Amino acid sequence: MPKYLCMQRNLPGGESRKPSPAEMQEMYSKFRAWQEKFQANLVDMGGKLGAGKLVTESAADGPFVEVKELVGGYMILSAQSLDEAITVARAFPGLVHPGSGVEVIEIRTA
Amino acid sequence: MSTPQLVEHFFRHEYGRLVATLCRRVGAQHIEVVEDAVQSALMAALESWTVSGAPDNPSAWLFRVAHNDVVGHLRQRTRRRRLLEQYTKEAIDTGEKGSELFLAQEVQDDLLRMLFVCCDEGIPEPSQLVLALKTLCGFDIREIALRLFISEANVYKRLARARSQLRKFPPRTDGPSEAQITSRLPAVRKILYLLFTEGYLSSHAETAIRRELCNEAIRLTSILAEHPLGQTPETFALLALMHLHAARMPARQDGAGGLVLLEEQDRDLWDREEIQVGLALLARSAHGDVFSRYHAEAGIAAEHCLAPSLQETRWDKVVEFYSLLERSAPSPMHKLNRAVAVAEWKGPAAGLEVLDGFEPPTWLVRSYIWSAVLADLHRRCGNAELANRYRKLACKAAPTSAVKQLLQHRLQINKQTIPRYG
Repeated sequence: MPKYLCMQRNLPGGESRKPSPAEMQEMYSKFRAWQEKFQANLVDMGGKLGAGKLVTESAADGPFVEVKELVGGYMILSAQSLDEAITVARAFPGLVHPGSGVEVIEIRTA
Repeated sequence: MSTPQLVEHFFRHEYGRLVATLCRRVGAQHIEVVEDAVQSALMAALESWTVSGAPDNPSAWLFRVAHNDVVGHLRQRTRRRRLLEQYTKEAIDTGEKGSELFLAQEVQDDLLRMLFVCCDEGIPEPSQLVLALKTLCGFDIREIALRLFISEANVYKRLARARSQLRKFPPRTDGPSEAQITSRLPAVRKILYLLFTEGYLSSHAETAIRRELCNEAIRLTSILAEHPLGQTPETFALLALMHLHAARMPARQDGAGGLVLLEEQDRDLWDREEIQVGLALLARSAHGDVFSRYHAEAGIAAEHCLAPSLQETRWDKVVEFYSLLERSAPSPMHKLNRAVAVAEWKGPAAGLEVLDGFEPPTWLVRSYIWSAVLADLHRRCGNAELANRYRKLACKAAPTSAVKQLLQHRLQINKQTIPRYG
């Protein structure tokens, strides 16, 4: 089954209000339900992305993009089609923060 | 990989526990640093546990993360000032040694200590209430505003006053002394009582929200009642009245969220277990020679819980408790309630007699409760004109549509009883 790379991106102008503990509890429960529902699609839950460098022939430089600002985290899904992967990603609870989006990209191995 | 289930209110209660424990370790004057660290730790937990699963001991994990954050902040601050403040150093030292070690009892102690910190004499009462909701119950500003029917700006203002007082705290980490705890007990009980009544009496449409405040009040009061310094007859009476009121909550609202009159409540819905707990506490409160307002109110609630029907209520006892309540906590509201109980006991004319020559304060005159009681008593005495006038006033002053509906229903049906909110 094809695999898809999902990258969480923080959108400009997104809501930055911190969730309250009660809201966190709700997000946590929704996340559990989501995970259960799409268990078969979840290949690698991935993680958050930290510091990085751009490595070229001559040097390690950068990073040229502020990774932290653009990408919150990544994970890898398996799905029959891009549409199915999008369905799974769209159901991702609250996308952790309101005002963030998930970029879904096919990983071509053949 | 699956994400484990967490107990109900886990995040909110961990928030309260962590703020209390960390404030004891580093001092309540650092409450802002502590609250930020706890918020971040919970957020980190949400992000990490959902990806890699929760650790074996979630509370210890949270404590470690929040504690390191607080220590880091305070160190930075100390460095910046180029002043090694002894208390910060000490707090950091002891904190690191025992960061994994905390016992259930210690947590209860910390929560209680924090409750006493919230009730500091230098903090005005409205700010005490908000501070307790924020720090001990883990509600944020928006949630507090929603629960207390005040604006977010108002919550913020009250919180700022409380915090500015906490900042003046002497740089000590062990919190209020035993003598301070004893002298602050009445203030602490009052805050717990307010917290409960906010949930119980509010006409908020959402039952869940109101029940939540009552549960929080019961949770914190139970901690007080289990602590050697808090175990006084008044504390038991307070906790008894909470349980006895909570017992009747399931019957107080109809399916559509409207309030149900005491006479029409299905008494089978009352929670027998809660009633038993309440009565046992009431028995424990009957020691010594103190008779507080909580004793009187618990006594009234017990009479209602024990009555098989409205008609079979021992109204003479209820009247007696209201008289005692008026004596221990004089309030026009208690007089009005006594008039209502007397009307049940000896008839509506006797009820009106209680109010003869009584000059109610403006806030009471303007409230729907005053007009509603008068409308009902006059109606039952056959004074149609007066009854009609007061009924209109009551409906006009009703704060919510649930209350308005209740009034219209109550004041027009032709029954020989009085409006009461069970």
